[in-house]
Amino acid sequence: MLDKEVVQKIILQSLRNLNDERDLGEQIAVSLGTRLFGIDADLDSLSLVSLIVDVEDAISNQAGLVISLTDDRAMSQINSPFNDVKALTEYIQLLLSEPV
Amino acid sequence: MNPALEIYYEKVVLITGSRRGVGRLIAEYILHNGGKVIGFARGEATINHPNYKHYQLDIGSSSSVLECFAELKKSTDRLHILINNAAVLTSQYAMIMPPASAQAMFNTNLMGAFLVSREASKLMRKARWGRIINIGSMAVSLEPIGDSVYAATKAGLAKLANVMAKELAPVNITCNTLSITAIKTDMLAQLPQNKISSVIAGLPIPRYAEPDDIFNIIDFLSSVRSSYITAQTIYMGGVN
Repeated sequence: MLDKEVVQKIILQSLRNLNDERDLGEQIAVSLGTRLFGIDADLDSLSLVSLIVDVEDAISNQAGLVISLTDDRAMSQINSPFNDVKALTEYIQLLLSEPV
Repeated sequence: MNPALEIYYEKVVLITGSRRGVGRLIAEYILHNGGKVIGFARGEATINHPNYKHYQLDIGSSSSVLECFAELKKSTDRLHILINNAAVLTSQYAMIMPPASAQAMFNTNLMGAFLVSREASKLMRKARWGRIINIGSMAVSLEPIGDSVYAATKAGLAKLANVMAKELAPVNITCNTLSITAIKTDMLAQLPQNKISSVIAGLPIPRYAEPDDIFNIIDFLSSVRSSYITAQTIYMGGVN
């Protein structure tokens, strides 16, 4: 299983990749506290979708199994796993800890 | 230079339903014009070409599509054009349409196209370029008796393209629908001849579609020059 630091690194790198596609004036402040979703989010909707796709891909490659971050379960969590990098890291670790 | 060669040379094109009918015709045309074709179909490959790679799957199954794309990504991270062609047709009065046949049409014609488009657009996004072309049907406009579910799935397919066109425009992926008229294929052979003749007689250009009629529009929608053409449905033969 991937440890917390590896998962965080993947998410942060995916955020940096998004910045590569954005203009200088639209750069996202990349940190563990970056708000991914919600009214005060640092990301617009397409950027969040792109992030999810990139993170799913990178996690699947590194862990050797396909994970889905957008199934019904993720969408129905009381505390959204997309609130910030920390919450997303915890959710991914939860998914990775479960039997395939 | 042959204009089609300019469009497809070294391009990677995924075609669903590539074993026969319109899908096979398009696959062979693109292979002939220098493209690399990935074929998705339920059955075994019917095309033998060094630039053709076949995957056997049910596109209506989410897990099968995900597994296939995971396999596909081992050999390429490029996908330029997707042609959602796979379709099944049962023509029957709605009152006696078997629910399983209706479900099969929804699964392949609509859900399958969604699942494949979903994964394909992730690959296209990385290159910030792509073309998604859905093969629709004149049945959406003509609404022939017996085609209630088939026409509904094809109408849904066009809407799928239109909404995805908005979502994917920022990454330069266009999504369009080519609504074809009757062309002599296995699928058409399932329908009563008098029904087909009557539909064709009612078309502004009363003849069967020829393969080149289809290739012409596929070329147009696939072209680099068509970057400003998205969320459109193009009918053939004067249907509108």
